[in-house]
Amino acid sequence: MATDASLKPCQMDRSSSFFKLIDTFSTEISELKQEMVQTAREPDTKLLQGLEGEVSGLFLQSSVCTGAAGVRDSGYDSLGRRISVLDRLTHTHPVWLLLPLNDEEAKRILQPQPPGTFLVRRSSKLQKKVISMRMDTDSSPVTVRDFPVTESQYTFSLEGSGISFADLFRLVAFCCISRDVLPFTLKLPGAISAAKTTTDLEEVAKLGIRFWDSKLCQKKKSSVPDGSAVQQGVKQAGQRRSLGDNLTPVPRTRTPSQLECSQSNGALCFINPLFLQTHRSEPASTEIVTSAASGDNCALSHSSSSSTQVKSHTRPQSILRRAISKEYARNNGVNRGESLSRSPPPRPPPPRTIPSRPAVPIKQKSMPETGVSWIKMPQEKTGLLGRLSSSFSSLTLSPSSLSLSSPIPMPSCHGSRASSIPDAEGQLCHLALEDQIIEQAVSQSLAKQALRNAALESRSPAEEGSPIGRERLSDISISTSSSDSLDYTPSFTLPAAASPSRADSSLEEEDDDGVGVESDQELSIEPPFKPKKRHSAGTFVLPRALKGHLRKVSGVFNSLMTPEKRAVKRIVEQSQNKSTYFGCLVQDYMSFMHENCSCHESGLELLQTVRQFMTQMKSYLLQSSELNPPIESLIPEDQIDQVLEKAMHKCILKPLKPVVEAALHNFQVSSGVWQQLKENLALAKTKQPQEMGVDGAMPPDPVAIEKIRQKFHNMSKMYSPEKKVSLLLRVCKLIYTIMEDNSGRMYGADDFLPMLTYVLAQCDMPELDTEIQYMMELLDPSLLHGEGGYYLTSAYGAMSLIKNFQEEQAARVLSSETHNTLHQWHRRRTAQRSTPSVDDFQNYLRVALQEPDSGCTAKTLQVRPYATTEEVCQLCAEKFKVHDPDNHALFLLTEESTQQLAPDTHPQKIKAELHSRPQIQAFYFIYRRIQNRSLTAPADEFNGNSVPV
Amino acid sequence: MAIRELKVCLLGDTGVGKSSIVCRFVQDHFDHNISPTIGASFLTKTVSCGNELHKFLIWDTAGQERFHSLAPMYYRGSAAAVIVYDITKLDSFQTLKKWVKELKEHGPEDIVVAIAGNKNDLGDIREVPTKDAKEFAESIAAIFIETSARNAVNVEELFQSISRQIPPLENTDVDSNESFKITRQPLPSSRRCC
Repeated sequence: MATDASLKPCQMDRSSSFFKLIDTFSTEISELKQEMVQTAREPDTKLLQGLEGEVSGLFLQSSVCTGAAGVRDSGYDSLGRRISVLDRLTHTHPVWLLLPLNDEEAKRILQPQPPGTFLVRRSSKLQKKVISMRMDTDSSPVTVRDFPVTESQYTFSLEGSGISFADLFRLVAFCCISRDVLPFTLKLPGAISAAKTTTDLEEVAKLGIRFWDSKLCQKKKSSVPDGSAVQQGVKQAGQRRSLGDNLTPVPRTRTPSQLECSQSNGALCFINPLFLQTHRSEPASTEIVTSAASGDNCALSHSSSSSTQVKSHTRPQSILRRAISKEYARNNGVNRGESLSRSPPPRPPPPRTIPSRPAVPIKQKSMPETGVSWIKMPQEKTGLLGRLSSSFSSLTLSPSSLSLSSPIPMPSCHGSRASSIPDAEGQLCHLALEDQIIEQAVSQSLAKQALRNAALESRSPAEEGSPIGRERLSDISISTSSSDSLDYTPSFTLPAAASPSRADSSLEEEDDDGVGVESDQELSIEPPFKPKKRHSAGTFVLPRALKGHLRKVSGVFNSLMTPEKRAVKRIVEQSQNKSTYFGCLVQDYMSFMHENCSCHESGLELLQTVRQFMTQMKSYLLQSSELNPPIESLIPEDQIDQVLEKAMHKCILKPLKPVVEAALHNFQVSSGVWQQLKENLALAKTKQPQEMGVDGAMPPDPVAIEKIRQKFHNMSKMYSPEKKVSLLLRVCKLIYTIMEDNSGRMYGADDFLPMLTYVLAQCDMPELDTEIQYMMELLDPSLLHGEGGYYLTSAYGAMSLIKNFQEEQAARVLSSETHNTLHQWHRRRTAQRSTPSVDDFQNYLRVALQEPDSGCTAKTLQVRPYATTEEVCQLCAEKFKVHDPDNHALFLLTEESTQQLAPDTHPQKIKAELHSRPQIQAFYFIYRRIQNRSLTAPADEFNGNSVPV
Repeated sequence: MAIRELKVCLLGDTGVGKSSIVCRFVQDHFDHNISPTIGASFLTKTVSCGNELHKFLIWDTAGQERFHSLAPMYYRGSAAAVIVYDITKLDSFQTLKKWVKELKEHGPEDIVVAIAGNKNDLGDIREVPTKDAKEFAESIAAIFIETSARNAVNVEELFQSISRQIPPLENTDVDSNESFKITRQPLPSSRRCC
């Protein structure tokens, strides 16, 4: 995910916010846990070291952590806390995503692991994917339980849970944070959860299933951090603290109702209601400062910011801009009465503002300076929620100051790597999770205390000047499109219960602040809700519990990018990436087709090889592990083929369409079919419906014919055979409608087929012939029995009749040519090919070196599709280390014969031809010494009759 | 429950009531959950059979002579063929015999053939005796039934008997994905020459 995101920030970031939420959730929780444990144990010396780290971290943060820091600063990768749970999962899926694993193996692996350890596999019993989880043997009679994963259309969820996820990784990531329907949360093995770099994770991933038996797994299980880890942890904690202290965003989460507000254009984020439940019961914490505009309030005394502490976390709160703008409104007096009537929550002492130990590392001097800029920035930007998007983009130069100083409780961009990406795009909205939640999740009050102490210790006087009071700003950050703020529906109301303390505290604060005016502006600027279509990556998550809330924004769902689209996009990207084998295959094929389209014997053969290539690529993608993560984890099983098919259309047919079309047309012209077709069409067009076999039903009038022509015209613009077919279906539907409107009865093929023939003749579009050919040959064979296949067959039949109209009139028989075509089509549909193996593919050729003394040695060589035999021979000589290449040649050995291949032939093409025969016979490419006719050829032992070409 | 898609081809002279039978079959107990097809030439209907669901994909053909040559495209890959004749038209029974012959020669090897004598409600002008048709059907091991699309007589039964004749999937533990595919595809055979 992270790599993807960083590669394609603009495409990935917008909609994956929910997952980033999860990422950050889990990252923060696990890290906080570690930090707390570690800091609790650490003596002061360590702390000092930690402080140093903290400062440098801070330095880094303020100077480097800009919007795009996550993207460009690889230094962050080295910090464990940079890696989100989702990233950890994604990187290490070979370890835990073991689909073929059976029950026993899963049990064997999980048995020695601590409770919560899990695997994802496919249960043969349930015929479903399951999360196999190590149970707590104290409370559970079984050691390993399987939790089935329900795959509905495009979503993955745990059975019994109302929360669906776009893919398996996100589901698992969520289960690492929230137990949902599980008895407790999933736990990543120590080696994974503690890994500090992606390289570490990759190391783990390399082990695959062997990880579980490896030392790495055993060692980390002890979970006693070694010194360096502790140090690291302290460093991290320190860094986080210092950041928190200075940046003072408000960490908070959103309630579902608030989340909903963001829907118009933002992320679709949900929090498990169960999760909320859990947290609601949490006692009030004194730790959290929720000053919304703390950034602006830098100048404010810290008491003011501390005054904004949230007392009771009735729920995780939203930092949605809508909510914020509401708050602003209140602060501005818009809702003043209401807000005032509510008593602000008591103000517990700020957890970290009091410098009990002013241990100020030298570097900390830099703090106030940056702090100044943070103060300044907000003055302009304060409350410009409606304009956030613009300010964001304008702030990309100094995104740190933006995110730090933003009046919205916005954590800095240093959340997860992924979440920082949007900054670069000028699109950032952070969702901060209250410490409370994190801590609750961690449920280590002792450690919490220790952490606080640590935080206090690390406070510097400089920091104190700034509004502080929270230790982590990016606890949870979620990025969405910045235009969120533009799109809030005014009708969305913020349930009072959802954010009372939030509103109150910010009210207080901002009143003090005097930002009201600007927030006023901001409010007035806020445009009305506009349902903007989003075309970027999206995520389809639909907790049933929230459906009602979501109805308002259900329109948005349609525009979200489905996992299918994302998977297709990923495959297409990979197909263009020549560093992958799949990309090589596709790109080589592309260049081959561009250069050699006309080397095919006929249009039909051309289309059939394209279809074959697509089918091979599909099975290659399924069989190979090149798709990372495996497609099974992204797409429900019964959708995979369909998704792959779509991807093939996009990465193969789309670029090839012009070439293929031109070639098809050329074939028609050169074979005379085009001329014949045109003549027959012209003749057929003059015929009356009755002459075409129409009996009784009313034919379409010229206006309708023109409409149909238009539809056909649109059809020819599509590259996807499926889309073309759906347009053909629309034409057929129109014909039916016209027929039925005039009579009111239903028509079967007796009436429809003649009518379709008549309509095709009237349309007078000879290019339809190749269109139909294109569809018939390239359409996913599995669709040929369905409705599309039926009407395609009918259109093909009608076109054949027209094509042979003169002959038909004379003899009422189809030409033998049509019969042949039909037969070939039949053969394609029915030939049962075995699944292609790697060396069936266009880039590989398996060649055996046959030597009289040592028998056969076979090698799979990389041979481009249009490589000549001569080139292959050179390659063979090199690979087999043959000393006298001149005396060697390439032979094709089949059951009946041995043929020497001429230097200018194309072995790959020969192979493809052999493969496309209905009955595949065994054949081999043999590289061996050319027989001297005067000698007894050793090859003859192998196969008698050698026929040199 | 696994759904098997079964292609069923409708053959027979024009006007014998091929589409009427299918329309009757599909429209009685119409399932509103299933997205309707665009027209009556291609209709689908799912029925349960044992522990399988059979989704019939019914391909209607044009009965006119001039479209005869297109028939192979329609019946190839079919699991079953319903050949319909009109009991009041002897000619249509003769055409039926031609279809049976063609299917034997060029059709899928294990295609289930059903013979339906339609317009059973017009018994008083019957030209094809039930006995003759029945004997013919027995001689070719085909399902035989007389139907009335107008009165909805034996239409359901026709398709039920087809369903029963479809052999269950040999491999019951086959991956569910596989079960969506037609398993009765004819092997390419040299004797096909269409």
